[in-house]
Amino acid sequence: MTITLKKYRWSDGETVSAKDVVFWMNMLTAVSRVSSSSINWGGYVPHEFPSNVLSATAISPYKVRLVIKGSFSRQWFTDNELSQITPIPLAWDVTERGKSDCAVRITNCIAVFKYLDAQSKSTSSWVGSKLWSVVDGAWQLTGLNSQGQLTFSYNKKYSGPVPPAHIATFKELPFTSEEAEYNVLAAGGRNPLDVGYLPTVNAPVPPPGRSVGANPVHGYRLQPLYQWGLSYFPYNFSSSNPQLAIINQVYFRHALQLLENQAAIIQGPLHGYGHVSTGPVGSFPRTSYLSPEALKGDPYPYDPVVARQLLADHGWTVNTTGVTVCHHPGTGPTDCGKGVRAGAQMKFTLYYATGETWLESAMLQLKSNAAQIGIEIDLIPKTFDGVLGVVENGPGCPAGGCPWELADWGVGWSYVPDYLPTGDELFQTGSFGNTGLYSNPVNDNLIRQTLHNSNVHLMWHWEDYLTKQLPVVYQPDAPAALVESIDSLHIGIQNPTLAINPEDWYFIR
Amino acid sequence: MTTFVVRRLLQAVAALVLVSLLVFAFLWLLPGGAEQAMLSGAGSANQLRQLRHDYGLGNPAVLAYLSWLGQVLHGNLGYSYVENASVGSLLAASLPRTLALMVTATVIGLAVAIPAGLAQAMRRDAATDRVARALSYVGYGMPSFFLGSILILVFAVRLHWFGAEGPQSAGITGVLTDWRDMTLPVLTLAVATVAIFARYVRSAAIDSLAHDYVRTAKAVGSGNRRVMVRHVLRNSLIPVITLAGLAIPRILAGALVVESLFNIQGIGWRLWQAAQKHDFPVLLGFILVIGAGAVAGSLLADVGYMLADPRIRRRER
Repeated sequence: MTITLKKYRWSDGETVSAKDVVFWMNMLTAVSRVSSSSINWGGYVPHEFPSNVLSATAISPYKVRLVIKGSFSRQWFTDNELSQITPIPLAWDVTERGKSDCAVRITNCIAVFKYLDAQSKSTSSWVGSKLWSVVDGAWQLTGLNSQGQLTFSYNKKYSGPVPPAHIATFKELPFTSEEAEYNVLAAGGRNPLDVGYLPTVNAPVPPPGRSVGANPVHGYRLQPLYQWGLSYFPYNFSSSNPQLAIINQVYFRHALQLLENQAAIIQGPLHGYGHVSTGPVGSFPRTSYLSPEALKGDPYPYDPVVARQLLADHGWTVNTTGVTVCHHPGTGPTDCGKGVRAGAQMKFTLYYATGETWLESAMLQLKSNAAQIGIEIDLIPKTFDGVLGVVENGPGCPAGGCPWELADWGVGWSYVPDYLPTGDELFQTGSFGNTGLYSNPVNDNLIRQTLHNSNVHLMWHWEDYLTKQLPVVYQPDAPAALVESIDSLHIGIQNPTLAINPEDWYFIR
Repeated sequence: MTTFVVRRLLQAVAALVLVSLLVFAFLWLLPGGAEQAMLSGAGSANQLRQLRHDYGLGNPAVLAYLSWLGQVLHGNLGYSYVENASVGSLLAASLPRTLALMVTATVIGLAVAIPAGLAQAMRRDAATDRVARALSYVGYGMPSFFLGSILILVFAVRLHWFGAEGPQSAGITGVLTDWRDMTLPVLTLAVATVAIFARYVRSAAIDSLAHDYVRTAKAVGSGNRRVMVRHVLRNSLIPVITLAGLAIPRILAGALVVESLFNIQGIGWRLWQAAQKHDFPVLLGFILVIGAGAVAGSLLADVGYMLADPRIRRRER
């Protein structure tokens, strides 16, 4: 495969060249090899990038040749593999000893990676850094104060397309709470915010048939921003989880999904902003990747009666004032299922991220709904970092007990930079994004087919299968932000990858 | 006087050693061990080496304590692996804001509370006293997030008289001179200070007014003003001095709710963030400084108490 680069420039005057792509490929290959857990590459999937690239060579200043191992769907390889390539400037091919040559020799890349990683942690040296000031994007960091306020200035050597009257600088302001930001937004005054975010709790519910409600902030335009992604929270399928036998039962996962009242969460804590997640493919925006079944809407609308019946039909004594207990162990159709012993209790620990009011309400609602049929959920609030930290360190259970059976950090998964929702990064055995360690050979095989063939029916087939398997709890797709932009500023349509592009913003007279 | 101060200083040093021992004990007993807890189990070999050096980990507890104390005395309060910054730099970024806010609120609060308390005592049970008492109950009982939100809604959002957030200048001079943004957070905090101190001053002044020396002063023809300032005020200040001294750790610890509401990255907000993120170096470093402030506050209160009350000076001789 030969890739031809567009003719862009770095801010130090160098061209964005084929060597920069090879530099990145070498770095990726090196960090993927060195760490068996692939902790240095968040998008790692076994046998995928960079394992499926035999070599990357700069054959001319603007052409890179990749030799690919195996054959893949053109769409998948373009959208999910090539899309990850992020050229890095040769100015970064250094260590503390000086210039290195990771762009040529992979063996030298780890030293470069460690040096860059260490430099990235020295926040006080970011502004004016010889390394980080070399960019090919529109902005350079020119200010960072002790309060965390960032100032970006337009990169005068930026070679990409921009509107002629674009803004020249922008500042990102830190706020101690969303209430504090809302107060500043609502007050306006001498230095009003040009762009801010409206807390969901302050947003009036949109009228029926409308996607946006009345704007409580005068002089601003309200625009909900949804991430192109999937909203869910995983089960802990670790083999050392004592509750694994219960979690392994599809009827149990079905029952719990029936207790996740997505419609009520959207109408209640989300104030009408949000979309029902229908399966393993993101449901908003509506794309051709959604199967006809998924387009029908929520396959598991809230139904505690059916949930209760599911448990009763599988050998559980449903206790509405206590904890539901297995009384028919075994593997028959009316038994609790493989590995579930007599007397096993429906007790689970759920970590959830604090800071998002809607998520805290949704978790309380799930706990309450589950308690109706004797499923006891112990809610443990943690910071967003805290939940992700626990989950990404692997869901294994220490000798002292399993810390979690479910974990919800609130924002699910973003399909960036792997835009095609094929599921290999989230649900395939061994993927870094498969945080709950879900493993199902049928699912793996169905996913594999979508990587090798662009026929959308294959994706639908996989999607419908996994919708029934419920490897995670699907929850409402909440807006990533309710964006408020001052009337005099044109910011265009917000990017569902959640990137902000102030180079496209300009003031309207 | 000198003996008293020296004795109190020695007691303060002993208290500081105790505070440092307690903080170190917390550090030593962190769940999972100090190293794992402080690095959240995800530190690099270099970070681990630095941590062991900073905190003397790996040595026996006594040696580790002395090593850590040596670092602290040289101004090294540790390093936050969550923020990628030294605890000292985080303290330097937060403390001036908190001090500016809390000291201003306390000074303004006292400046209002003392005359108000004296005036209430002079007109005990009159209508003005009753109204002032009712207001002080309201001020004392009103949660700061509620009062702050109301003030923002009225004076920032509706009237645009003041800013909706605290001063955002990087330097302390900029913070102190930005009266427009400083007013609402200071007012929110000062209301509670006025409510508390006015009640103490009123009560102490009523007590003083009933003493013989006040009656004697009046009998020899001293005017009301002279009696209040020279005799009643001085005696009424004794509980205020004690309370003001004890307020120093509160001043240093910041006001989480007000800081959070008014977008002020002060000590209280930073401590709360550190607690949520299990950022133990920041927690322990800040607690050490607040503990030292508590000891200093107690010392200052003792000295002020002695200056205000000659009986204590005589007793200490």
